[in-house]
Amino acid sequence: MTMTVHEAVARRRTADRTVLLEASDVTMRFGGLTAVNNVSLKVHYGEIVGLIGPNGAGKTTFFNCLTGLYKPTSGRVALEGEKLPPKPRQVVAAGVARTFQNIRLFHNMTALENVMVGMYCRTKANAVDAILRLPRHRAEERAATKAARKWLAFVGLTPAADVLSRNLPYGDQRRLEIARALATSPKLLLLDEPTAGMNPNETRQAEELIFRIRDLGLAILVIEHDMRFIFNLCDTVSCLVQGEVLVCGTGAEVQSDPRVIEAYLGSPQLEDEDDA
Amino acid sequence: MTPDLFFEQLVNGLSLGSLYALIAVGYTVVYGIVQLINFAHGEIFMMGAFGAYTVWLLAGSPTELSAAAALGLLLPAMILGGILVAVGTALLTERFAYRPLRGAPRLAPLISAIGISVFLQEFVRLFYGRIPGFPDSKRAIPFPHIEGISGNSIQLGDVSIKMTSVFTVAALLICTAFLWYYINRTKTGRAMIATSQDPDTARLMGIDVDRVIMSAFAVGAALAAVAGVAHGMYIGNIDFKMGFMAGLKAFTAAVLGGIGNINGAVVGGVVLGLVEAFAGQVGDTAWKDVWAFVILILVLVFRPQGLLGAKVVDRA
Amino acid sequence: MIARLSAYERVGRFAAIAGAALVLLSVMLPWAYGKRALDDMTYFFGPSPLQLCGAGVAAVCLAALIAGLVALPGRGPTMLCWNDMARVGGIGLAFYVGAVLVAVAVATGGLVNVEAGGWLAFGGAVLAALGGLTLPDSPQATLSHFLTPSWGQIAAIVVAIASALFAAAAAVNQGDVEDFVVFGVWLAAAIFLVRASGVFAWLSLAAAGNRQVLVMAAFVAAFAFPFTQNGSDANMSVAAQVLTFAGTAIGLNIVVGLVGLLDLGYIAFLGAGAFTAAVLSKSAFATLSVDLPFPVVVVISGTVASLLGLLIGTPTLRVSGDYLAIVTLAFGEIFRITMNNLDGTDGPNITHGSNGVPGIPNLNLFGFDFGQSHEILGVTLTRHANYYMLLLVVIALIIVVFTNLNHSRIGRGWVAIREDEMAAEAMGVNTFALKLLAFAGGAFLAGVAGSVKAYTDTSVSPDQYVFLESAFLLAAVVLGGMGTVMGVLIGATILKLLPEKLRFFDDYRLLLFGALMVLMMRFRPEGIIADERRQLEFHDEDEELAEDVETELVVHQAHHNLEGGKRS
Repeated sequence: MTMTVHEAVARRRTADRTVLLEASDVTMRFGGLTAVNNVSLKVHYGEIVGLIGPNGAGKTTFFNCLTGLYKPTSGRVALEGEKLPPKPRQVVAAGVARTFQNIRLFHNMTALENVMVGMYCRTKANAVDAILRLPRHRAEERAATKAARKWLAFVGLTPAADVLSRNLPYGDQRRLEIARALATSPKLLLLDEPTAGMNPNETRQAEELIFRIRDLGLAILVIEHDMRFIFNLCDTVSCLVQGEVLVCGTGAEVQSDPRVIEAYLGSPQLEDEDDA
Repeated sequence: MTPDLFFEQLVNGLSLGSLYALIAVGYTVVYGIVQLINFAHGEIFMMGAFGAYTVWLLAGSPTELSAAAALGLLLPAMILGGILVAVGTALLTERFAYRPLRGAPRLAPLISAIGISVFLQEFVRLFYGRIPGFPDSKRAIPFPHIEGISGNSIQLGDVSIKMTSVFTVAALLICTAFLWYYINRTKTGRAMIATSQDPDTARLMGIDVDRVIMSAFAVGAALAAVAGVAHGMYIGNIDFKMGFMAGLKAFTAAVLGGIGNINGAVVGGVVLGLVEAFAGQVGDTAWKDVWAFVILILVLVFRPQGLLGAKVVDRA
Repeated sequence: MIARLSAYERVGRFAAIAGAALVLLSVMLPWAYGKRALDDMTYFFGPSPLQLCGAGVAAVCLAALIAGLVALPGRGPTMLCWNDMARVGGIGLAFYVGAVLVAVAVATGGLVNVEAGGWLAFGGAVLAALGGLTLPDSPQATLSHFLTPSWGQIAAIVVAIASALFAAAAAVNQGDVEDFVVFGVWLAAAIFLVRASGVFAWLSLAAAGNRQVLVMAAFVAAFAFPFTQNGSDANMSVAAQVLTFAGTAIGLNIVVGLVGLLDLGYIAFLGAGAFTAAVLSKSAFATLSVDLPFPVVVVISGTVASLLGLLIGTPTLRVSGDYLAIVTLAFGEIFRITMNNLDGTDGPNITHGSNGVPGIPNLNLFGFDFGQSHEILGVTLTRHANYYMLLLVVIALIIVVFTNLNHSRIGRGWVAIREDEMAAEAMGVNTFALKLLAFAGGAFLAGVAGSVKAYTDTSVSPDQYVFLESAFLLAAVVLGGMGTVMGVLIGATILKLLPEKLRFFDDYRLLLFGALMVLMMRFRPEGIIADERRQLEFHDEDEELAEDVETELVVHQAHHNLEGGKRS
């Protein structure tokens, strides 16, 4: 996170087409319902991948499979070739961070504290360090505060650092969630409907923020309903329908595919997907 | 263990279990509808026992009644009095302690319930004996002798079964039958089922959810009052503290059967009673309460949905 | 100038002035007949201490009324909230004089023993209260805008702490129940009066800026407390109980206040510490008597308690919410029954069953015998005063542990779990390990408190560790304000001190406690401290931030700096 934008962009160019995350044949069943069926997906370094699909297509379920919230019934998810560990916090430690479709901030903590919670897995001070205020605690605390302020500045929330997150306006809460996720120093950021409920102006700002995150060298996987947003943003787009990948390709390819149009306009919709 | 002893413990276990089951229904019905552990339910049971005792006092403390008069008049009057007191108390607590806290963090109603529980115990301890002619409630009060039940027993081969046990088990059977009818065959009962499954939709369908919740509290309290009378006759005395341990055991029974599941509460109560009776026989009686709590912990940790499965499992 | 007042307010203000003046004058007259009532209010021109207390409130009230009149033009913000002060002071005065009259009637057998002066004071106080109610609300006090030099702030903190010490000493020293109640009413009136003035708001800011001074002053005051007790061992015994209780409650506050796990069997950890210290002691009844230095015993007791915490926590922390509460309650009961059964007949003899371990000898640390009274600076420090001092050290350590953990990545992890456990896990927080740490850490603190309690009480028995005590601990946390140290200290003091001083009410203690829990949940679920914060609105006009943002910021800083913790 300390690298400059130029370095990051350079790294992205050279690392291009190297696979960061690879999900192969991921299937998730709940009782008789198959929410995600044999979904395979690749995310390369420095790439923004979009995941679209009608309501109930299994997008969030798929996200939950990636982040360890659900254990896929079958299939494999690998980051940099290594199989992702089973628990959510281990997935975070491995370098995958996420935001939630329905914002899940720590409401009675300040914005700064929220971001510092994201740093939990990157700090080591134990209870003894904290109680005795040993150097490790103090050094980490200083560094963490500094980094957290940097991330707040990055998403443009510096003035709100000491505001309780529940008192932030909606759009700021979304940005704070992104800052909190970035604070875990991820290689891959999963965004679940980052512009839901935003006005066009805010959406444009979010778009710009996501580009800036990509420029830091991160890969991004984003679920969205806003098609213009997706096609502006994404290098590749996958369309998920009824738990299966319908089309995968560049924005233009997906946009013009008749099956996608049919899925959105003509196909019957499943019951609400399970957003845990 | 000799067959006689086994049979004796079986009867003990069944009667104890019936008591637990009668109280457990109250926990489970309320939990099924509002997801609230009515921590004060043990005290409702205690109030029921005191209500029944009060009826006896007001009737002039009759001691020389014939069996027919005792069973035909006195006992029904006592049960009715107990039910009135218990239901009244339950409705008051629901109205003033729980209803204002709907939608508050889960901690709030639980703490409030602890407060109610302590308050009711102390209220009875401090004030019951102050009423002229009433016995000192700071000590255990001997429960009246009901001719035809108390002290009687029936002989079955070599074993004698106390009539109080018969009464307790019969009370459970009758109450369960009534409850089944009430839940499945009346309008209020069906409204309760609907509310327990989806309160918001139930409200939209025109069900008065407040009334349903009050009915749940009332039904639970009525059964607890019956248990209070049965307990008074079975144990022989009542006191202001009787609700704490009984309530905890009954809660264990409710959890054991799957909280929110009425059949489960009955099964759980009987199972717990039997386990306690036999554990007390096999091991040291000083540890019998420990076994009940160990069961509670094991069930909550490893099978929170209970033996028969609960309607509400997600406790996050 | 006066013409700008509405007729309504004009009548009210002058009525209030007259009322306050009446109260002030009436203290020169006897209020009661018979010296037994309160502290002798029978003299002409010889006001008793309690009368003087009342006169003080009346004088401040009068001053506020007049200052409000002078400051009227423009009706802009004033340095203090004069009108609010006058109103609150008047109401407080009415309560206070009312309490005096009731106390006189109770102590001497009827209102006939109230002298003319007393009625005069009552009339004046009611007049002042009614008059005060007609006054409009004050605008925000401007006091917080004055940036006083730091020595001024430090001096103010020292004065505030010293007043608190003085008030506490005076309250504890009130011998009779009536005196204690009347003094309590007066104290409440005085505190509300100061709060209405806006001084608290300023003081909080000052305290936030000088946290170390505040903490130092508080501890110096706490250490000075035994010197105000003139060798009364009974009072120091109460004080020692309060400290033990508060220390345990702070441990519980980690679990309940920070992590949000409801523990209804917490008293078991205090018991585990106490029993460990007892069976290791040199009591004739101790079963494992060994000669260990006291600090080692303390550490062992804490460790035993925290092992118990781990034992309980490892399986049960998988369940959450109400279920966890019930599981912990069951564990608490198992602990009590087990301690009862380890008596040699139902189990191995470790605790002597329901008799417990009596006759624990007094501590002797570095040649200092805790069983003896010591003369220091001309004041006798009794046995309980010695233990009070020891407990003060222990509680200081407990507070340090609580605060330092709270303000670390661990504390943030805990609060994150309380706020949204799943999101915390999804942000990389090891929720299970942190919950276990809270359980074991809280248990350790309770165990440490228990080990000192064993020596303070000289005996340990299972019936001291019943469910009701767990409920009391929880009540201290809830009453004071979850997640704060200050709140728990206040909650513990109220719950332990009141029943001790109000012996007549001892029988009703639990009844009132039950009612209090219900009412708190209904009307003030956030507790005393958190609530007070909410009312202390600091409205500095800062150009950079919106008003609400600013409020949050300042309140947040006060949270962090004053005693840290509650983020609400």
